[in-house]
Amino acid sequence: MEFNIVNPKTKSELLRAIRKETTFRFGAGCTDLLMELKKKPVENLVVINLSFVVDSRFTGLKKLAKSFWLGAMTTAHTMVMNEQIKNDFNVLYESAHNLASTQIRQVATMGGNLCTASPSGDIACALMALDASCHLLNDAGVNSVVNIHDFFLGVRKTILKKNEVLYGLTIPTNKKQTKTVYSKFIKIGTRRSMECSVVSLAYHIQVNEEGVIIGAGIAIGASAPTVRSALSASGFLIGKNIHLITEKEKEELACKIVSYAEPITDLRATAWYRKEVLLNISKSIFE
Amino acid sequence: MKKEKKPNESLHHITFSLNGKRVSCSIKASTLLLDLIRDTFELKGTKPGCYEGECGACTVLINDAPVNSCLFLAVNANGKNITTIEGLLQHDGSLHPVQESLVASGAVQCGFCSSGMAMTIKALTHQHESVPHLTGAIKKALPSREEIKKYLEGNLCRCTGYVKIIDAAEKLFALDIEKNEKGI
Ligand SMILES: Cc1cc2nc3c(=O)[nH]c(=O)nc-3n(C[C@H](O)[C@H](O)[C@H](O)COP(=O)(O)OP(=O)(O)OC[C@H]3O[C@@H](n4cnc5c(N)ncnc54)[C@H](O)[C@@H]3O)c2cc1C
Ligand code: FES
Ligand code: FES
Repeated sequence: MEFNIVNPKTKSELLRAIRKETTFRFGAGCTDLLMELKKKPVENLVVINLSFVVDSRFTGLKKLAKSFWLGAMTTAHTMVMNEQIKNDFNVLYESAHNLASTQIRQVATMGGNLCTASPSGDIACALMALDASCHLLNDAGVNSVVNIHDFFLGVRKTILKKNEVLYGLTIPTNKKQTKTVYSKFIKIGTRRSMECSVVSLAYHIQVNEEGVIIGAGIAIGASAPTVRSALSASGFLIGKNIHLITEKEKEELACKIVSYAEPITDLRATAWYRKEVLLNISKSIFE
Repeated sequence: MKKEKKPNESLHHITFSLNGKRVSCSIKASTLLLDLIRDTFELKGTKPGCYEGECGACTVLINDAPVNSCLFLAVNANGKNITTIEGLLQHDGSLHPVQESLVASGAVQCGFCSSGMAMTIKALTHQHESVPHLTGAIKKALPSREEIKKYLEGNLCRCTGYVKIIDAAEKLFALDIEKNEKGI
């Protein structure tokens, strides 16, 4: 593994580096990047190191008027320690808390988890259930926003162009009328720690005082080429009263979620097993 | 004329604190912190296990946080405080309480995982030290057995079966409760 590295310290130095370099990769926590380069070295590669860029938007968290800002360099550890994430977006807290290990959570970033575009990206899956919007920045300094549902194109492929960096994202604040939130990240692996998901399910369901579902985001991981949003399942829930949901409806919801799955058989699990597990955990949403 | 191949990697100068001592060196961009510690600084207590972030044998503290040095670019150590197992040595040459507790609990067999375990447990003590020492609040802030297990999830041990390692961490924190209650 050989490469060169540039260490931009400001946003403008970062943009300049993107304009100047030809064969480059961004390095954030580098937990994915180093593993990848060890297996498949790239000749004449330059790593544009994002670790020294000082910019609070890029590295920090912030409560905004109608949303919550998460800088691309936010680590899983920072997310776990943040009170608002724990209180308002439990699904994100749980995905970060169960990512890899204590050591990896210290360095692994939200931006890296999204941009590596793994089908089993845990933080990516949670952020999809939260209907986040990705904020991109190009080498000319122009910002653009794309919904997370449009961010992933395939295994290890995102919508990001070569001259674009993920700068951060916004998560919509829970609705004003929300009284209770059912927000959870369920990760099934072959062991409890340090395990890429065999199947994962993320959901964030907002319920008003009367028990009526007024917001629902459901996403699945490790079940298709990308993490996927189960949009028809979310739509199915809107307007239903959680106290009146029947067993048949729970079954229907689970089937809708599973219809988004196109799992593969690999060394961790068979496609059949993945679907079965997904069906069963989907039935448990209101339990 | 034969074209000379340009070396792909240029050298980078970094300065950081290693076990409390300011050090500088020139390194290749792809140098891993683990190799820098072991090969350049010849501190062999940090162990190379899997080189994949799986085993935790290579755990060091960066600004008091536990990190796998096998997945950490040495370039990123610039300006940071790095502590390795050698840095736990007390001024009088004795073992650190974390190490004492591991020994006393019989939590060391072949010892390959032990330095990584000790560093992760040390990191957990930092977390609890940062909590204000108010009576009543202390006990709550101390990690439960489950929390200790969760914290150590990135450290593998092939010998002990973990029970004694977790015991060691638990005893260490129990000792702290005693000290705090006695106002030591
Ligand atoms: C032992 C181990 C266990 C793991 N367990 C899990 C797990 O349980 N769940 C899980 O989801 N993942 C897991 N991972 C994968 C990995 O740790 C995470 O995906 C992590 O979030 C990646 O973040 P990073 O900052 O290290 O990314 P990096 O490795 O720095 O980057 C990953 C990719 O994203 C690109 N990139 C990074 N930041 C940006 C940006 N801002 N803009 C554009 N491109 C960018 C990089 O160029 C690279 O291609 C594990 C990895 C290891 C080694
Ligand atoms: S050698 Fe670093 S985690 Fe195994
Ligand atoms: S004591 Fe041998 S690996 Fe832990």
